Amino acid sequence: MQQSAVTIEQLTVNYGTFTAVDNLSFTVKTGEIYGLLGPNGAGKTTTLKVLVGVLEPRAGKVEIFNTPLADEVAAKSQIGYVPEEVVLLDSLTPREFLEFTASIRKLDANTVNSRLERLTSAFQLTQYFDTPIAALSMGNKQKVAIIAALMHEPRLLILDEPLVGLDARSSKILKELITFHAKKGGAVIFSTHIMEVAEKLCTRVGIINQGKIVGEGTVEDLRKLVKSAEGSLEDIFLKVTEQEAGMQDVIKALEEE
Amino acid sequence: MNFREIWHITGTVYREVSFQSIFSLRAGSTLPQKGRGSIEQLVKSAQINIIISKILTAVFVGTFGFITFLPLMEQTFYTGPPKDLALVGSVSAFLASVLFLIVFMGLQVTTSFVSSKIADTLSPLPLSKRDISSIIFLCFVRIFDAPLAVAAITLVTVYFLVGGSILGGLVSFAAVIATECFALTFTVGLARFFYARVTAGGGRSKLKTLMRFVFMLVWILPTLGAYLLVNFATYIVESFAVFTQSLSSFSNLVVLAYPFSYGFLVSFTTFGVNDYLVLGGSVAASIGYLFAAFFSLRWLTRTIRTIGSGGIASTQREKVKDTIIHPQIPWLGIIRKDLRIASRAPSYASLFFLPIIQTAILAVTFSSIGDAGPALSFGILTGASMMVLLLPTTMFSIEGLGSAYTRSLPLKKNTLITAKATLSTLVYAVSLVALFLVALYLGRDFTYILIFGGIYAMSIAAASMLELVILSRKYWKEGMAMGNLYSRLSTFILILLPGYVVAWIPIIAAFTAYATAPTLVEVVFPSVVMIEFLIMTIVVLREK
Repeated sequence: MQQSAVTIEQLTVNYGTFTAVDNLSFTVKTGEIYGLLGPNGAGKTTTLKVLVGVLEPRAGKVEIFNTPLADEVAAKSQIGYVPEEVVLLDSLTPREFLEFTASIRKLDANTVNSRLERLTSAFQLTQYFDTPIAALSMGNKQKVAIIAALMHEPRLLILDEPLVGLDARSSKILKELITFHAKKGGAVIFSTHIMEVAEKLCTRVGIINQGKIVGEGTVEDLRKLVKSAEGSLEDIFLKVTEQEAGMQDVIKALEEE
Repeated sequence: MNFREIWHITGTVYREVSFQSIFSLRAGSTLPQKGRGSIEQLVKSAQINIIISKILTAVFVGTFGFITFLPLMEQTFYTGPPKDLALVGSVSAFLASVLFLIVFMGLQVTTSFVSSKIADTLSPLPLSKRDISSIIFLCFVRIFDAPLAVAAITLVTVYFLVGGSILGGLVSFAAVIATECFALTFTVGLARFFYARVTAGGGRSKLKTLMRFVFMLVWILPTLGAYLLVNFATYIVESFAVFTQSLSSFSNLVVLAYPFSYGFLVSFTTFGVNDYLVLGGSVAASIGYLFAAFFSLRWLTRTIRTIGSGGIASTQREKVKDTIIHPQIPWLGIIRKDLRIASRAPSYASLFFLPIIQTAILAVTFSSIGDAGPALSFGILTGASMMVLLLPTTMFSIEGLGSAYTRSLPLKKNTLITAKATLSTLVYAVSLVALFLVALYLGRDFTYILIFGGIYAMSIAAASMLELVILSRKYWKEGMAMGNLYSRLSTFILILLPGYVVAWIPIIAAFTAYATAPTLVEVVFPSVVMIEFLIMTIVVLREK
């Protein structure tokens, strides 16, 4: 039976006078891969940051596996998070950084080391294990964050544009891991701008625009919403976010320049 | 591109470095979460912070200049060493202070200069390599403009105030310019070595760990030098003069050493020549140092570009044998992380060592009085507490690094507070060990101070806990973004003050007992300390 992994009700987040997320509500159940889509600045990252406790909302209710986010430690213990902008502790090496996160998560050395060996080998990070994070490429930094998110086998994965910067091999492995995680009964929320990936991977998507959910459901549900029988997720996305209308004119104007 | 255009671009780049010096290092990536008005206010605060830092160094340089020349300004009742030797001492001490203070300031800002990678931003723009080099070099110099200008003006001014000659004034000016070139070169040289050899290439081998430790010591030398010079200014001038006098038979050699060669040359151009061999030596050495300054400046302009591009980090890697990690209990994990970060960040490293050095210096200074009784012991402990209690804020600011990620970890407030308070107390404990070693070396009886000092560790822990509770309550929700704390001196003081009050309550209580009923000191002091510790432990345990 599917359990509620994430419950968000009437979430509002402000930056000064600007409302980044406006009365947002959605739920994610176990076994689901929920894609959070939206144009730049729509409020995806803000929503995910609230979910992992990095940002404080102005209003709304957030629960992780029925644990209110106010119970920070209990809620965060169940999450693995890959941020959009990978800013880790740059002066540490991946080994030292993972040692730190494992300490905070109170992980058992024997259990974590066998998993760590498999993950570093899968993402080909072993050779960089003692190199300061500051000296790593963007892709390798991303791999460190991904390993840190998976290391403790969390029930909920929150991935903010996790494929950015990854090579084809690592990208494929991560996608497989996401699918496997959901099949095992875990839950995944991830944001992406790559519509093809979202279409293939997600069991449900939520399209967010100007801080509000403007469309939600399976790709089939969304097709019905926009009354298009064959449109791709990209077409649906552009329609739902009302970006399609003027787009052809803009392209035409650029071509005529 | 003409100078005006380059200067204009430098202004923008300089503002960016100023900004990053606070926010990219201390606030992690929490900045985009703030409102526009708030960000604008923080940018302004960052600029003010940089200006204050420059002014403080400039004031130190200026004040030290006047203090070192003060005895020579006394015309009627002068009782010190011969004036020509005193002038050698004053000029040499001033030049050494400029060197240390500029290097001290430089080492604190170089980290942000390196991390800003300004050349990476400038390179894609239609600017020639020469223009980019000029912009980066001018930007680097602008960080130091006020202290550099004040140093030059101060030396020339005080020199004329003690009745110097025109030629002596010119020599003084040349000496201070050469010193400034050396100081900037020394800063960049140390930074280059640090980033290329110490921080790069990982850090698992014992050799790398040892190198980092050694370099932490090297890094604090300018801090220590600046500290000694500022605290013992007049004493140092006299020592310089006495030292020079005692080495009169070796003055032919001393005169070749920087900064004495300039000291001797200024003295000769003021009071006349009494030894032509020494004059010859000082002239030759001074010209040699001027050439060295010129070449160091050329090296500096070439090197600074590599630093600005962040291209000095070596790509060498150690061969990785395994991927085994050793997780600790959370608070120990935080301590280990903090020590690792501090060993690679000079500004943190120097702060960790300062309390230990300061305690040793206090002990040496006070030991001239005799064995340390209760009153003297409490005096030394007060001094030690002042330095140690600067640590919790610094250590809390480490949490700002990468906070956009680390905030997502299941970390309890009380775990964080316990870790940082333990580390502060540990630094204090190491200070006590330093004190013990000084006592052993001097053959003094420091029993009181060691017993009271040991008990006082609980008060230091309580004061640290209080500072950390205030800090975490204030900054926990905003991702421990401490940039705004450093740019608001009043907030910083309001966090330090309660800590100092907690640390000083047992001292005041003990002093009061000592004055009224001395036998009660041994009861009052530990009791107050223990009560403080218990109260703060309960408060921390309640922080979730």
